[in-house]
Amino acid sequence: MTEVLNDTLSVERPAPRHFAFAEPFWEGTREKKLLLQYCRKSGQFQFYPRPVSVFTGTRDLEWREVSGRGEIFSWTVAHIARPPFTGHTPYAVVTVTLDEGVNVIANLINCPLDEVAIGLRVRAAWTPLPDGTNLLLFEPDGTAAV
Amino acid sequence: MALRDAAIVGFAETKIEARSGREIWDFAAEILESLITTTGIEKDEIDGFLINGSMTGAGNCFWSQTTAEFLGLELDFCQTVDIGGSSAVGAVARAAAALDAGLCSTILLLNVDTESSEQNLNMRSFHGEWIHPYGMIGPPADFGLISRRYDHLYGLDLEALGKLAVTQRNHALLNDNACEKLRKPLTVEDYLNSRMIADPVRLLDCVMVCDGGNGLLMTTRKRAKEKGFDSFVVPLGYGERTNYRTTDNLADITESGHLVAGQKAFAQAQLKPADIGSYQPYDDFLIAVLIKLEMLGFAERGQGGAFIRERNLSFDGDLPINTGGGQISAGQPGLAGGGVNLIEGVRQLLGKGGARQVKDRRHALVTGIGGIPYGRNWTTSTALILGSEG
Repeated sequence: MTEVLNDTLSVERPAPRHFAFAEPFWEGTREKKLLLQYCRKSGQFQFYPRPVSVFTGTRDLEWREVSGRGEIFSWTVAHIARPPFTGHTPYAVVTVTLDEGVNVIANLINCPLDEVAIGLRVRAAWTPLPDGTNLLLFEPDGTAAV
Repeated sequence: MALRDAAIVGFAETKIEARSGREIWDFAAEILESLITTTGIEKDEIDGFLINGSMTGAGNCFWSQTTAEFLGLELDFCQTVDIGGSSAVGAVARAAAALDAGLCSTILLLNVDTESSEQNLNMRSFHGEWIHPYGMIGPPADFGLISRRYDHLYGLDLEALGKLAVTQRNHALLNDNACEKLRKPLTVEDYLNSRMIADPVRLLDCVMVCDGGNGLLMTTRKRAKEKGFDSFVVPLGYGERTNYRTTDNLADITESGHLVAGQKAFAQAQLKPADIGSYQPYDDFLIAVLIKLEMLGFAERGQGGAFIRERNLSFDGDLPINTGGGQISAGQPGLAGGGVNLIEGVRQLLGKGGARQVKDRRHALVTGIGGIPYGRNWTTSTALILGSEG
């Protein structure tokens, strides 16, 4: 029997407080766009948003929209939880390597437990937050080339 | 060499208690009194003070000063060490540096926390925006991700982790300071059957947060001899790395800063893993002990489980590990937890191990793990090699 994972979509998540330098990320989520900081000098993306390029120590950063596609780097299933996740276990927390070369932590939805695997192709999914922004989640990428 | 000019002349440890309800400075007082009583060093001789950043003291950014005042200490050097579970081990190197620089001559290294009774942390960090919205329940979830990745790369040897859990538990049964709740015999089956917390991390992979304190008195080696100490402990090698490979977006999370911290400590001590008589690795999760066996050169990469299966890790075995039970079986007194492993290393070198005394008390290796970064393993890795003298 396939264990069903909770998709966490009914969790009443509060909108998190944003650090000012992360605001473009959150503004992008209003239109379900995934924006990442890009360091021109080193030619690399970085996540989570920082006040500086972690590669060069300078503030020469720009925001670029990315595909939201990637693959699972690692995963765990939460069997205990604190509010507001209490009562919503088991749910999956995954680290996803985006195609742009950064690792992002989020929940995985729309995926039975026995299909969760390192290397599984995923794409961005979104769930609304009370402040009008959307929270980035991931789901299996049904359109991915095998 | 500055490090080995320092000497640890005394150690102290309280019983580790779950939800003790005791005041944090009561634990501090117990340590101070014990150190003064057992070493004969008078309070007024103490002119240096290092204390760990704690979950209980977290709301007070004058923590070292406030605690020193409660203890009646007049000081030339006073500092909080705030590298989490690495603070206790890191404090030894900082104390040696302070002694070498002439900042002070007799220094109290105190680790206290009452996290299970009074938690005052207000974490200003990446967690609010990037972790909490996903229901990550703290370190067990992070170690779930580490364990799964390890399983993918090398295979997670649950029987080996179970053996480690049992070995440490057997040591806690011989440790009167271990938390009483944990002093019950354990089997590999108990480990395997313990409930999932953050799959594949089980309950018995994790530490239990408690209250407690521990501490050391350090002075210069010269002064220790002048004062007539016939046996003491000397730090021989130390390595520390914070934010290992932090700018490598896709760094291997089964590799930690202990790789470089360990190489530095062994080179400085001019020793190799085979010279270590007892090994006291910081153990917030069993997988961390396994990974560090590989990082520190005891086992090849991916062979930590095989190493645990093959070797006798008991106090009377060929590589005694966490001979007091470690934090997993003695309890984790919050951010004083690093001192549990450290004090046990010192105790064994001084031949005060009692029923769990190791045979080879020449050299001990102690490690620290402090802080959990975003999507990696741990923030600060420390490795300290200690030697006995006299």
